[in-house]
Amino acid sequence: MTVNIELWATDGYMSTPDGNSIYIWGFSDAAGKKAQLPGPRIVVTQGDVVSITVNNILPEATSLLFPGQSGVLADTGTGPHLAQPQFDGSGNLVSLTDFADYPGNPDTNPASIKYTFTAGNPGTYLYESGTNPHKQVPMGLYGAIIVRPADYDPAIPTRKTAYGENTGTEFDREYLIVVSEIDPALHSAVEKGTEYKIREFKPRYWTMNGRCAPDTMFADGMGCLPNQPYGAMIMAEPGEKILIRYAGSGIENHPLHLHGNHTRIVAEDGRLLKNGATDLSYKRFTVLTGSGQTYDQIFTWSGLGYSPADPIPTTVPNLRNLGVGDAGWTLWSGSPYLGEKGDIPVGVTSFNGIGEYYFMLHSHEEMQITNWGEFPGGMMSMLAIFPAGTLGDTGIIE
Amino acid sequence: MAVINKRFGATDGYITMPDGSEHYIFGWVDLTGIPDSEIFSYRGKAQLLGPLLEAKVGDEVYLTLTNLGMPVRPDLDDSHTIHWHGFPNQIALYDGVPEASISVPVGRDFVYYYKPLDPGTYIYHCHFEPVEHIQMGMVGPLLVRPADYDPDNPAYKTAYGYATGTEFDREYFVFLTELDSAAHHQVAVVQEYDWTEFSPDYWLLNGRSYPDTVKSGADLPEQPFSALVKANSGETVLLRYINLGYQQHSIEILGIPVRIVGQDAVRPLGMNGENLAYWKNCNYFAAGQTLDGIFTAPAPGTYPVLNRDCYKNANAGVTPGGMVSEVQVFTAGTLPPQAGPGQ
Repeated sequence: MTVNIELWATDGYMSTPDGNSIYIWGFSDAAGKKAQLPGPRIVVTQGDVVSITVNNILPEATSLLFPGQSGVLADTGTGPHLAQPQFDGSGNLVSLTDFADYPGNPDTNPASIKYTFTAGNPGTYLYESGTNPHKQVPMGLYGAIIVRPADYDPAIPTRKTAYGENTGTEFDREYLIVVSEIDPALHSAVEKGTEYKIREFKPRYWTMNGRCAPDTMFADGMGCLPNQPYGAMIMAEPGEKILIRYAGSGIENHPLHLHGNHTRIVAEDGRLLKNGATDLSYKRFTVLTGSGQTYDQIFTWSGLGYSPADPIPTTVPNLRNLGVGDAGWTLWSGSPYLGEKGDIPVGVTSFNGIGEYYFMLHSHEEMQITNWGEFPGGMMSMLAIFPAGTLGDTGIIE
Repeated sequence: MAVINKRFGATDGYITMPDGSEHYIFGWVDLTGIPDSEIFSYRGKAQLLGPLLEAKVGDEVYLTLTNLGMPVRPDLDDSHTIHWHGFPNQIALYDGVPEASISVPVGRDFVYYYKPLDPGTYIYHCHFEPVEHIQMGMVGPLLVRPADYDPDNPAYKTAYGYATGTEFDREYFVFLTELDSAAHHQVAVVQEYDWTEFSPDYWLLNGRSYPDTVKSGADLPEQPFSALVKANSGETVLLRYINLGYQQHSIEILGIPVRIVGQDAVRPLGMNGENLAYWKNCNYFAAGQTLDGIFTAPAPGTYPVLNRDCYKNANAGVTPGGMVSEVQVFTAGTLPPQAGPGQ
């Protein structure tokens, strides 16, 4: 089928948990809306003909690259043609692909452009600006594309897969984590129109789905984060197959460490790790997600079998002899057991709901889990394991 | 299967670099077997790296963390935790993340329990304000032997079990961290440090900078892990690489490629059991990753170990230093059997 998507390249502001408000460029999905970070998720099915129109209202030209897609066509009103790098009259590269000009350019080139490609392979991909990408991508002109396999059917477990039936990629819940960095000096310079040297890029914030911890743990669509609609909390029940899609949309490479269990990386850059009949997937406890790369991983947390009837072999000391809520809050239930709640000291706020477990997911370059140096923050979120049968419809990307 | 009782104290201390500079650290000290009445004499005696934690699949490990406080920073009443990095299917209580369970205040104890089910090279570290506590030195090596491990039977002296192709004669840690002396100084003098300014000036192998890396363990009591690799020609050597810094590193041994038989404490195996072990000359890996590499000691001689990011082979800008060490290969029969990892 044909999928038509309209994006607006525009500006807006992102919030950081330490109270900063940072000017961004990015994409929105409706005229008049502010830019969101990252851009709208695009979910299509293998074989779809995907047409994406970019309406540019930024003060400079912009464009879209689709790394991992083949045969991308561009159309600025004169008919579709193979998207090509653009050069000025002197042969200088001005854009890595056909672009939408800025409104009001006296040369009166169109300020919108339509890209079309056939989603040939299932997987996780990025879309990102190809014009002044050293500036426009860190400013926020990026987003993720999920391509479902042609036989995808969420109602049939053997066909609810990342890469198709019989590829060993079945999953119960899925999550997308797009990681990037923010150097406020870049954003401020763009906002004020002052000079900035990209070689002096020095991030002070690190993001998951455009948010810094602890905002990463909030739900999708929080009213207090109007331009950062996507949460980064992973939620599942014991024994479920959890698909996590990492996408590195920043400039740096990030070692993402998930507590709780190893993950099996089944695909990189939207390609199944298989060579004929030879399976090349591998397990990791830390996945170095490089700039521009994507990693699809599936794992299960099954626990160690402890319950009040089969108790842990140690005694938990009196709470007055323990630190609980040092950060001013805790996600602990007060009990060692899944689905049980215990005492929490007076004065400590527990955000634990029904005795679920929390495991940290974070960059292991630890300065990246701060907000401008203050822990906790940055590129950090949690995996929440809920008691069996309690979670409902969570972990669905549509 | 054995019951292993260990007790690690968390406190502060000082380490030295080869240029004579001293640096304030947080770290671990082994209190196993020390009577309660004597543990306070270990305050201020943190070591870098922390003591080796070693267990076998199926063992029951009771690890007591005792927070001894910081004699140099009596104002600093930080709690601590122990996070076993990479323990599969862990429960929140034993995972050591303060935001997700508990931490251990000054003067208090907590017992962590582990029954490891998967062999390999792991790490432990404090997870309380980790950007500060890890850089300050609260890190240590952790290894799990396969259930059938038998050091007296060559076929069973392996990293991952009988017939896994991971037999070895000697084993060593290659434990990577960095030291940002400005950060350590700021912490010592009770000043805030902006961790986004992190910029190391020393790069450490097993808590030491070259040429201290090639000295014996006993030469630096606060940094007891030598980084010198020794073997007789023809012996099989297992290197347990750990990166617990905040940077990505590229470690090579000139003249000695290594076969990677484990990553993040799992064998490289496909879903149908495909053996995906491979050879590397340079091992490029990131913070929070571990590798197990095996090589056969070549002809007698000295083979330099270095960080191919050569600016990291320096001590505060002066070369040679930093992440440099040696593999020393001797004529067959020269060295007696190894007494333990890194010995």
